[in-house]
Amino acid sequence: MNLKEIRDEALKKLESPDVKTERDLTELKTYLFGKSGVLTGLMKGLKDLPPEQKPQAGKEINDLRVELTALCEQKEKELHRLAIEQSINSQTIDLSVDRPYHAIGCAHPLNQVRRRLTDYFVGNGYIVYDSPEIETDYYNFQALNVPLDHPARDMQDTFFINDNILLRTQTSAGQVRLMEQYKPPLKMICPGRVFRNDDDSTHSPVFHQMEGLVIDKNVTLCDLKGALDGFAKFIFGEQTQIRFRPSYFPFTEPSVEVDVSCFNCGGSGCRVCKNTGWIEILGAGMVNRKVLANCGIDPDEYHGFAFGMGLDRITMILCAINDIKLMWENDVRFLHMFK
Amino acid sequence: MKLPLSWLKDYVNIGDITPQELSDKLVSIGFEVEEIIMPRSDIKGVVVGHVLDIVHHDNSDKLWICQVDIGNEIVQIVTGAQNVKKGDYVPVATVGAELPDGTHIKPAKLRGVESFGMMCGGRELGVDDSIIDGASYDGILILPGDSIVGENILHTLGQDDTVLDVSITANRPDCQAIVNLAREISVLLDKPFKMPKLTYKTVDIGTGKMPTVKIAEKDLCSRYIGRMIYNIKIEKSPKWMRDRLRMCGIRPINNLVDITNYVLLEIGQPMHAFDRKYIDGGINVRKGVVGESIVALDGKKYNVGDVLLIADDKKPLAIAGIMGGEYTSIFPDTQMVFLEAARFERSNIRRTSRKIGLRSDSSARYEKGVDWHSVEIGSERALALIDELKCGTIVNARVSDGIEAPEQKIIRTTKEEICALLGIDIDKKIIVSLLKKQGIAVKSEGKTLVCTIPLVREDIDGYPDLAEDIMRFYGYDKIISTHSENTHQTRGYLSTHDENVQKVKDRLQALGADEILNYSFVSPDAADKLLLAADDEWRKVIPILNPLSRDISVMRTQLVYGMLTSIARNYARKNSAMRFYELGKVFVAEKLPLEKLPVERDVLCVGFCNDGNFFTLKNIVGEIVGMFGKVEYTPSSAPYLHPKQSLHVDACGIVGDFGKLHPLVCENYDLPECVFVAHLDITDALNAVLPTAKYVQLSKQHPIDRDLAVVVKKSVAVGDMLAAVKAVNPYISEVKLFDIYEGEQIADGYKSVAFSVRLQPTDAPFSDSQIKEIIDKIIQKVETQFEAKLR
Repeated sequence: MNLKEIRDEALKKLESPDVKTERDLTELKTYLFGKSGVLTGLMKGLKDLPPEQKPQAGKEINDLRVELTALCEQKEKELHRLAIEQSINSQTIDLSVDRPYHAIGCAHPLNQVRRRLTDYFVGNGYIVYDSPEIETDYYNFQALNVPLDHPARDMQDTFFINDNILLRTQTSAGQVRLMEQYKPPLKMICPGRVFRNDDDSTHSPVFHQMEGLVIDKNVTLCDLKGALDGFAKFIFGEQTQIRFRPSYFPFTEPSVEVDVSCFNCGGSGCRVCKNTGWIEILGAGMVNRKVLANCGIDPDEYHGFAFGMGLDRITMILCAINDIKLMWENDVRFLHMFK
Repeated sequence: MKLPLSWLKDYVNIGDITPQELSDKLVSIGFEVEEIIMPRSDIKGVVVGHVLDIVHHDNSDKLWICQVDIGNEIVQIVTGAQNVKKGDYVPVATVGAELPDGTHIKPAKLRGVESFGMMCGGRELGVDDSIIDGASYDGILILPGDSIVGENILHTLGQDDTVLDVSITANRPDCQAIVNLAREISVLLDKPFKMPKLTYKTVDIGTGKMPTVKIAEKDLCSRYIGRMIYNIKIEKSPKWMRDRLRMCGIRPINNLVDITNYVLLEIGQPMHAFDRKYIDGGINVRKGVVGESIVALDGKKYNVGDVLLIADDKKPLAIAGIMGGEYTSIFPDTQMVFLEAARFERSNIRRTSRKIGLRSDSSARYEKGVDWHSVEIGSERALALIDELKCGTIVNARVSDGIEAPEQKIIRTTKEEICALLGIDIDKKIIVSLLKKQGIAVKSEGKTLVCTIPLVREDIDGYPDLAEDIMRFYGYDKIISTHSENTHQTRGYLSTHDENVQKVKDRLQALGADEILNYSFVSPDAADKLLLAADDEWRKVIPILNPLSRDISVMRTQLVYGMLTSIARNYARKNSAMRFYELGKVFVAEKLPLEKLPVERDVLCVGFCNDGNFFTLKNIVGEIVGMFGKVEYTPSSAPYLHPKQSLHVDACGIVGDFGKLHPLVCENYDLPECVFVAHLDITDALNAVLPTAKYVQLSKQHPIDRDLAVVVKKSVAVGDMLAAVKAVNPYISEVKLFDIYEGEQIADGYKSVAFSVRLQPTDAPFSDSQIKEIIDKIIQKVETQFEAKLR
């Protein structure tokens, strides 16, 4: 075969349906360029040509070889792409179904809220203090200006272990322990469980509070409002307003109840705020001088403010949970709503 | 505390303020209004009628034709009721009237006779005998003879008043009295306050017939005033008084008892009336002696040893401040009354009332605190009412004992001190005026404000109380938000413990467990349900003295009970698969009964149902313990776990057991046998600072993997064997089990264990001989220690 015949044949084969796989192409390449391939044969035949024809003939063979090699490579890429495409098509699966796997778990909604609040206060310079759940009468009541046989004890139905030991009714008990342990300036929160002898549709005998305490030389009632305003905006949204109403707690003076403007209706009145535009969320006040003195802090030198909020109540408001029992049933369907 | 607005209006002119506006204003000075009880709005157009004439209907045996005066006209009404007589006063629903059941009254014709309205019975008006006598009778309600013709029936029934239910905080016992609340409202609305009438006529018959009064315990009873009234006429009190008592939740009884209750509500002073003829000799306020007892008004007998008593020379007459005796109280035949007004120490009343288990309106009031002056005001007011109601003749003499009037508290403060607490600047003049309005005398001595506190305000103790009273009327809306500009910057952080708690919880959630919460108290039956031995530490539970129920009567010593209860609840609700954790406190008593505070320990409980096997749980426990260090297991003897599928951990500050739940425990909780539980005390681990992990140089050399298969006795613990393999040489970076096989080609009682070993050279590649040397040592190890044979 001469060069032209070889070229025509090669081109014909590359176009022909016979070469449809990479393997077919390899065969063609062997036929052309292999040890006993046609081009190799021509190359070998060069030695029989007269010397003056050799350069010209050699060049022609080589040119054809370069041309065909390039064509083969191009064909090879094309065939490879086709092969991959075929393979991809064979990997079709049904994407509409889900296969079993183990989903991640989630924190209880109450502790999700507790963690958010804790992070907020820690970021604002508060330490987190833990204090016993089984307490003495002194820390839970007397040191907080609730003497024995004081009517203020009626505000809280207490579980007793004996005359002197009880289940703490308020995280305020942590205030006293903290002040005994650390010197001002102080900023702390004390989140935890509290207990009251009370069980109805809106009360659970176990619930959670978060106490806050700030003691420093120039702390004022306005500073308390500022601290709670920041907290309320963080948890209920930037547009939230707070208001103070006078109240009474034995361990603060003055004492206030704190309402936030309803995050649901913005204050115009709705089911969430019982049409008042305000939601009561916590109690607060300036730390009573007697409490400071009980803890060895000079009330003439230092002022303080304290606040206490019900974490269960805030969680229920935020998550629209309408029955406190749900918080303790641990129904997996309930828990998974808060993933 | 119930505040009928008509009663309030006797002492302060509140103008045309609406009940809602008044409530909002009361809230702003610290008196939350829990409810506004509005007058009835479901009765319209019903008035008092006077039956002038009554004749039989010509065409009916049962109908009567009445001519009824309804004030502005006389109307003809046909009625089927049989209890109406000429001259009766009756409720008349006039034409156009609306009744509670929705009836509209229209002119009608009954058997040819026109009727313009309807006479009503109690049922039609929605009232019964508790509102007015005769209302429960099945017929027409016959009204009292002094009823006013044409008057709106709501007024006659005492149903036209608005009542505010005001919540009084524990620091303001003085406001448990309508007059003192009226005084606050007069300041609030800037309207004048009028005292109730305290004057009355008396007769001078000397003190001869009056018992003497002697207080033996002046620290428990600081004041006692006795008065006497004779020619007593016991009868019903007037309607206005009965209506007011009823609106405040007190049942009217007779004129004298009603007056004492009226004074309690109005002045806040408990009063007690004794029948004089049962008092032998003088009145002694003394403690009861052991063995002494009294039958109180409730008909029950109380032992009054060491209890403060009102006694005469022979016997106890009353339990001081709590309840009178049955035989000395007012009866219809009472002719002479001894009227007591006294002040008893509040904590003693509180203690006594709890001790003997008896409470009354009077003791509730005393517990909150009654001031020294109100004793006299209460006594005077009661006498004024006795005079007004003509109950009897008042003797002008009085008998009394007690201490001198206590001194009024003086508080010295400055405007600056008050403003420094509040954080806002208030003009000194405003401060002085707001305090004066509340009855606090203020004198300026230079910068100092000398404030004299009236006895009735026992709650005021220092300048912060004054600051509060200023703010109540100045307005808390004037408190602005500031951000502690003048205070120190502090450092906020989580304790090691709290940070570790977060890490543990995050990891458990990543491991697919949902957090649950259970009560801190459990049932005492928990121990039996968990098959605990008689001497198990978990049985040392701290009991609650006053639990809500037996189910929640002891403090928990473990979290397994709560975990299983929660899983069982879910399982019963057909939530068939779940994986839970609880991280909570348990209470460990050093000694029972408790003498000092128990130790509170942090326990992690993991439990799952239909959500894995023993190895799932082992992996979870491994991940948690692994946070704190190296895991080590020993056999478990936890009674609630499956003896063949449980392990004990005691490593890195973590102690506990985990495994499959014992089949008997499953039965006790109605659970299927696919529940796994871990109970780990992680207290010590949580308190350990976790070091930050450090990078170890990664080797650039390729690791070499070799697979080995050995045959060992079935009893060999493969985990132990592989651990031993790993320990053979430090270059062994990993030992991985890939097959345990029993059966064909393996002799009975043996198993084949296939595992791969990865050798990790550090600096230079291993030579073949080095590799062989390590592998040989491994083989030697398993052969000698575990009697393994290479396959």
